[in-house]
Amino acid sequence: MHRHPPVSESAPAAVVVEDLHKRFGELEVLKGVSLTAREGDVITLIGSSGSGKSTLLRCINMLEIPDDGRVVIGGEAISLKKTRGGASVPADARQVERMRTRLGMVFQSFNLWTHMTILQNVIEAPVHVLGVPKAEAVDRARMLLDKVGILAKADSYPVQLSGGQQQRAAIARALAMQPKVMLFDEPTSALDPELVGEVLRVIRQLADEGNTMILVTHEMGFAREVASKVVFLHQGRIEEEGSPDKVLTNPDSDRVRQFLSRHLSGAA
Amino acid sequence: MNWQLMWDSLPRMLGGLSLTLQLIVGSLALGALVAFAVALLRLSGNRVVETLAAAYVFVFRGTPLLVQIFLVYYGLGQFEFIRDSILWPFLREPYWCAILALTLNTGAYTSEVLRGAILSVPSGQVEAARACGMSRALAFRRIVLPVAIRQMLPAYGNEVILMVKATSLASTITLMEVTGIARRMIAQTFAVFELFIVAGAIYLVLNFIATRLIKFAEWRLTPYLRARA
Repeated sequence: MHRHPPVSESAPAAVVVEDLHKRFGELEVLKGVSLTAREGDVITLIGSSGSGKSTLLRCINMLEIPDDGRVVIGGEAISLKKTRGGASVPADARQVERMRTRLGMVFQSFNLWTHMTILQNVIEAPVHVLGVPKAEAVDRARMLLDKVGILAKADSYPVQLSGGQQQRAAIARALAMQPKVMLFDEPTSALDPELVGEVLRVIRQLADEGNTMILVTHEMGFAREVASKVVFLHQGRIEEEGSPDKVLTNPDSDRVRQFLSRHLSGAA
Repeated sequence: MNWQLMWDSLPRMLGGLSLTLQLIVGSLALGALVAFAVALLRLSGNRVVETLAAAYVFVFRGTPLLVQIFLVYYGLGQFEFIRDSILWPFLREPYWCAILALTLNTGAYTSEVLRGAILSVPSGQVEAARACGMSRALAFRRIVLPVAIRQMLPAYGNEVILMVKATSLASTITLMEVTGIARRMIAQTFAVFELFIVAGAIYLVLNFIATRLIKFAEWRLTPYLRARA
């Protein structure tokens, strides 16, 4: 089994999260999380449901606005401000939109645009957000669809595709923006077991090509293979982080040990 | 039943068709604009604006169209500031009064249909748009509105059918559209049954065409539903 090569400590930071706090009403989902993804890093976030791993991922591209703490993308901190009611909001919507174009997001439930063909889904944001000429966007989209293995489905609509194909289309859509960092939020959790492999293969290929990625997953075997770093979250805090070999085979924390014994059976 | 009378009445009755069609198309077109604006106001997030828009919808959905037509035609002229305003050349015409009342009425209904359709757009699709860096406005234009319009077509088709029939109420404020002409001919011939059947048949044909047009629009705009196979 191959492993992700360790990323140099001197590689520039692609994403820095500092002391992130997020509350939903009374519930504090993130209680001060800090994390750095260097260029070339593949960080997998693991933990039980409710541990805050998806919320952490969604705070990075401001789909959830953190109550406290900082998110720095490519050296630029996203500026937040407080409303009179005390809620945290982006100080500059434009800045957030600009940041998001550098972060490709892949959702658990694909979220393809149902009224557009697969090709239209992939060229939509490059053309309408980045202003890429349509012909150029189409060429690139075809290349990406070929890369994820669904070029034949370019003119189909999302409903005509299997879950695995839809997720691969969603990955192509995210890649079309040529993001600096890819974020994956449980990309295989909504898939039938026999469709998981085809999506993981695509993600693995992206990891091998040196893309910077942060991914929330329940696939422990996969996490071990692709990750340069594994981060275990527990009740809104980082319980343990380190190399996959360390965290997934010889963790310091008993919680991680218990979690693994529940999840590793049959997963590797 | 006097078939000959019915047949002979047809050309005269169809003379009102142009006016009926003007009322339908005019009020639907203006009503769509009103509906779009009101739906946006109702979703604006501003409490005052939302309440005002909701009050408009409440009033115009909750009162009879006939009463609204009477209020516009007979009522507005009582106010001196309206008689003095630049709108008076329009508002003293029954034609524009009918258009105005029909527009406000369909605008209220359609805004609710559109608002419901906008709210029913899956949040994941909006989130995906925002995650690509789309602004709120761009995501609305490219994702939310196209999906919502497709979603609302069946319900909007219903509203179109209701409007085709509702234009007959314009006859109560002297407009000689299809029903107005039928009533005048009945006053002359007393052939109530025959002439109203002819008038009814004309509306039936109009609605047959209207339902076909809506079906065609649905078919054109939802290839992804046809494609499901």
